[in-house]
Amino acid sequence: MFGGLEMVELGRGLAYGGAGIAFGLAGCGSAWGIAIASHQAGGVLREKPDLFGRMLIFIGLPGTQGFYGFIMAFLLMAQTGLIRGEQINVAPGTGLALFFVGLGFGLAQLVSAIKQGEASAAAIALVARRPEAMGRAILFPAFVETYAVVALLAAILLLNFLTKPAILEYVTQLAK
Amino acid sequence: MVPRIRQNSKWGFVCGRISVLEARLVSMDFYATLLAQEHLDDLIPHLQDTFLREYLGPGSPWEDFSALTDRCFFELAHSLREDCPDPTPVDLFLLNGDYMNLKNALVGFTSFPFRTTWLSSEKLAAIAGGDNNLLPEIVQEAGVALLRESMDATALDAALDGAYLRHLLRLAREFGNPTIEECVRERVLSRAVGVVWRAVRLQAGLRNHQQYFLPLEDFTPVVTDLMASADVRAWTGILSGPVGDLFEKALEFPEDEQVSQFELMCANRLTCSARDGVYQTAGPERVFSFLVALYAEMQNVKLVVCGRLNRVDLDLLRRRLRVCYG
Repeated sequence: MFGGLEMVELGRGLAYGGAGIAFGLAGCGSAWGIAIASHQAGGVLREKPDLFGRMLIFIGLPGTQGFYGFIMAFLLMAQTGLIRGEQINVAPGTGLALFFVGLGFGLAQLVSAIKQGEASAAAIALVARRPEAMGRAILFPAFVETYAVVALLAAILLLNFLTKPAILEYVTQLAK
Repeated sequence: MVPRIRQNSKWGFVCGRISVLEARLVSMDFYATLLAQEHLDDLIPHLQDTFLREYLGPGSPWEDFSALTDRCFFELAHSLREDCPDPTPVDLFLLNGDYMNLKNALVGFTSFPFRTTWLSSEKLAAIAGGDNNLLPEIVQEAGVALLRESMDATALDAALDGAYLRHLLRLAREFGNPTIEECVRERVLSRAVGVVWRAVRLQAGLRNHQQYFLPLEDFTPVVTDLMASADVRAWTGILSGPVGDLFEKALEFPEDEQVSQFELMCANRLTCSARDGVYQTAGPERVFSFLVALYAEMQNVKLVVCGRLNRVDLDLLRRRLRVCYG
């Protein structure tokens, strides 16, 4: 039904889809998480404007997932040759695997960003009452961050394994 | 008490404000310090630690202290109301002021001490001028227009009290928050018991209450049974649940303190029930619980300062203090 080239195109398409989803979900999560923390911080600043600097840290924390999403999407595109200039042949199976790497990564970032926004909001509430508890309060959202970083590392490892030169060489031979 | 704490980011802004304001709620030790002051003037520096700070200017008259605390509570509540995505949790507290204004209007006064929420000043002025058509439906249902013409002040009070409690129940039910609704239902039942109990103690006759105070939704049969039994001790068989338990405890006090102790215990239970809302980062329960705490604080400050002004026994004042969680 499909020739070798069409299969490679399908593989590439799936991989690029994975990149789009990775960035899209992570970006949405960050926006959502920042909004949750910002609502709370806005209320605190209404009463205590001098806490702006501390609030900014908590608001910024859920934003990191968006950057991780950008890194992941960039790596996916670079490893599959879209950015390097020379496109690499990707088998449909590898493309599907890369798609799910992007999806899994994106979901992890989406959920962790929203939950980090909620944890930040709780930390903001604590700092609003007791500004001296800033050091301890920042630990709660920071723990959520751990899993966003773990998801990024797992996704990078999978990406590297799935785009090993030996595998890609095999696909190139098949396409020919 | 809180069935499930849910993050509700729409309430984030107002709850952020409350996070700061909660830090200003005072603890029970504060009242011990207030009561320990020898001179009235020594109270002022301590009151600077409360929400009253902005209201205590030089030369603030002590005579208006009760009105001052009310103004402080209502202004802060109004300010929070403006930031709430749904004003109902705040309206549950402001409604009291609206009914006080309405009571003033119905007896013909044209000054309304509380900032209006539900009924505008223009409407109140028109009602004060005799326009009964402008009375809200919930008040008209109680037959207030007829009572006004008959000049029966006791019956009018009973009708307005009943309308107020029905209004609270309706607001809480329509808002649909289980925690807030449970607190309001308990508050309404305890308030109804208090009203009937006081009427029984005054031996004033319950005809007006039977006629104008009811109905109170599903509490109607309970309150009707209470009104039908002149022996207060028999009420233990009618009242059940937490309000029934508090009623039984109140009966253990000397007779002249029973009603006030019952009301105090009910207010304390409300504060303890609502306290769980503090654990919510963003949501209406947090607003409700803060206002319960703020109301208790204002009542305590009012009790101590006015009690000191009127040379009330310090032990009595200590016993009447409401619990707080500052």
